Amino acid sequence: MEFIDLKAQQKLIRESLNASINKVLDDGRYILGEEVSNLENKLSSFCGAQHSIGCSNGTDALIIALLALGVKPGDGVITVPFTYIATLEAIATIGAIPVLVDVYDSTFNMNPELIDSVIKNSEYNIKAIMPVDLFGLPARYRLIKEISEKHGLKVIGDAAQSFGASKDKLNVGKFSDITTTSFFPAKPLGCYGDGGAIFTDSSEYNKIIRSLAVHGKGTDKYDNIRIGMNSRLDTLQAAILLEKLKIFEKEIELRNKIADLYREKFNNLDVRFQYIPKGYKSVYAQFSIVFDDKVKRDKAQSLLSKNNIPSVIYYSIPGHLQTGYKYLNYKEGDFPVSEKLSNTILSLPMHPYLEEKEIDIIVRTISKNI
Amino acid sequence: MNIPFADIKKQYMSIHDEINNAIQEVLNDTAFIRGKYVERFEKNLSKMYGINHCIGVGNGTDAIYLSLKALNIGPGDEVITVCNSWISTSEVISQTGASVRFVDIEPDNYNIDVNQIESVINKNTKAIIPVHLYGQPVKNMDLLIEIANKHSLFVIEDCAQAIFSEFKNQYVGTFGDIATISFYPGKNLGAFGDAGAVITNDDMLAEKVRMMANHGQKVKHNHKYEGINSRMDGLQGNILNVKLNHILGWTKRRQDISEIYKNYLEDIPNISIPKVDKDSTHVFHLYVILAEKRNELMNFLKESGIGTALHYPNILPMLECYKHLNYSPSDFPNGYSASQKILSLPMFPEIKKEEIQYVCQKIKEFYK
Repeated sequence: MEFIDLKAQQKLIRESLNASINKVLDDGRYILGEEVSNLENKLSSFCGAQHSIGCSNGTDALIIALLALGVKPGDGVITVPFTYIATLEAIATIGAIPVLVDVYDSTFNMNPELIDSVIKNSEYNIKAIMPVDLFGLPARYRLIKEISEKHGLKVIGDAAQSFGASKDKLNVGKFSDITTTSFFPAKPLGCYGDGGAIFTDSSEYNKIIRSLAVHGKGTDKYDNIRIGMNSRLDTLQAAILLEKLKIFEKEIELRNKIADLYREKFNNLDVRFQYIPKGYKSVYAQFSIVFDDKVKRDKAQSLLSKNNIPSVIYYSIPGHLQTGYKYLNYKEGDFPVSEKLSNTILSLPMHPYLEEKEIDIIVRTISKNI
Repeated sequence: MNIPFADIKKQYMSIHDEINNAIQEVLNDTAFIRGKYVERFEKNLSKMYGINHCIGVGNGTDAIYLSLKALNIGPGDEVITVCNSWISTSEVISQTGASVRFVDIEPDNYNIDVNQIESVINKNTKAIIPVHLYGQPVKNMDLLIEIANKHSLFVIEDCAQAIFSEFKNQYVGTFGDIATISFYPGKNLGAFGDAGAVITNDDMLAEKVRMMANHGQKVKHNHKYEGINSRMDGLQGNILNVKLNHILGWTKRRQDISEIYKNYLEDIPNISIPKVDKDSTHVFHLYVILAEKRNELMNFLKESGIGTALHYPNILPMLECYKHLNYSPSDFPNGYSASQKILSLPMFPEIKKEEIQYVCQKIKEFYK
């Protein structure tokens, strides 16, 4: 059994993938070829954002978004500890300070009620709020936006896992000043290497983002008006994404069906799931279950492993307890919800082509434990 | 006749089946992020290059950034580099929060004038980034290393354009503490997308670059450093595995082309052709001449169907993003003067002799 089965998907579209790859090879425009702008246009129509900009990966997307908003060294950016490290890392890379707030126990996403007091008590000049749409579920952007407006802050949505998700018919890409995503191969919409994208409705940000991603270029390549970086989506990867985008909506439905099956089959067992609030639609980048305690979780994982069923702990060490981030001076106990989740959560196999009988095996294996 | 400045399609056609097989291998194994094909490439290149470590990364710019970070260079530090290079060399210095100090070029070889380096060294100086521009090693590379040692400075060699060129029978990239390579598609060894590498003989630096390039982690989810995300794609790694088998032949071909150019161009008084230093080999990523009435010549060649380019039209200190440093062209007389006269002629291994002849004939015609 595969945790994420890229081969099952590939089998379905291998022919068209190869045709697209060959076209790129024959065209010889390997950097910013026409497939990149085609994809950007398709992504914009898919999510409704005015502008979509391809880049090298989801981490760079966050860095570029922060730079585009004018976040400077020493500024504070509010985010959560229960996330992949890239979120904190992007803030730290530009010299800014990650200022953390805990997550909801129910949705695993940023708890907006905690933001006000963190802003009040922070020694840093807070410039932006960066919620994370964990496992594919959008954060509570309406509440976050209210707070950001009250304090004059910008919002960057870290949608690395949630491109394609929505709330009340509004898609990820429309909730924040700037939204970023990742096309890492294991993502719901993934390429065959590293890739990412940035979304915004602002033409001003669009201009700055495009310049930042290509060495701070001005009107031409050799006129550099700002300090930038090299962060481009390869033409080859754009061509692959164009093929995958064609089946993406169908795959989101399949993921949701599988999640429903999981929930149904786990129904009588003593585990809980990520709560999906009314009106929200997740893309289920991960399907995670939460146990009562660490002992039960660890036992379940070793049982699965003994039966050759892959499972992963996202995330075993919350950001504030990572070695590289000790300088932030957080300690154990500062974010009890995140810490508890790190000890009790387990992500199970999830991809559009997971079969019901596989889900049965997984549920049966875990049920022996609890 | 239509002669492009560079033609990467021709090269692809010459190794079409090998490349396609390499791509299918990666697809079959879904080894997309680093993976065994990138590891194989790292080993292959290290072996060919005679260096202990090669780390595949996202691109040549990231390679320099990662090298600086691995050497702990940051705010308050100064890094010396050359005024004539692609923006990557200096922008990554600023990205780390350090300050860049530019040095003028040696007029004959377009690279950093090693004799001027000591004049900009101060107590904050931490490193020198020599750039082996156009494919030719820095003149007096051994003196540069001597100066670096004397002042305890790190040396990061920017080999983006110079892979497999030699100074005193030793490959560039093996003189300093660490070196960087770009596999941008147009490079002598080019991928089919963005890719780069860091090479070094230092175990500790190699390990740190490896971790920094993968979110500061060695074991998954255990982040020792604040890193970045900069990994070579599996697809690019295996494409490069194929190309590595051909690189020495292609390099030789570039050198042969330079000889053909030389034969036709050396007697034209209005231009000056590249000089290869006695201590060096030149891998001719670019064939750059100095030309009188450069812009007019460029236009004339364009009208004759010949692609040319400028590397680079502006020296770095004169770019808008360095305005705050308040430099003037007179601070870099050699670099500035060269930037007004340089012209890069068509150069790629597949260019035919008749095509080179045509280019040279048109240049002669222009100055008649």
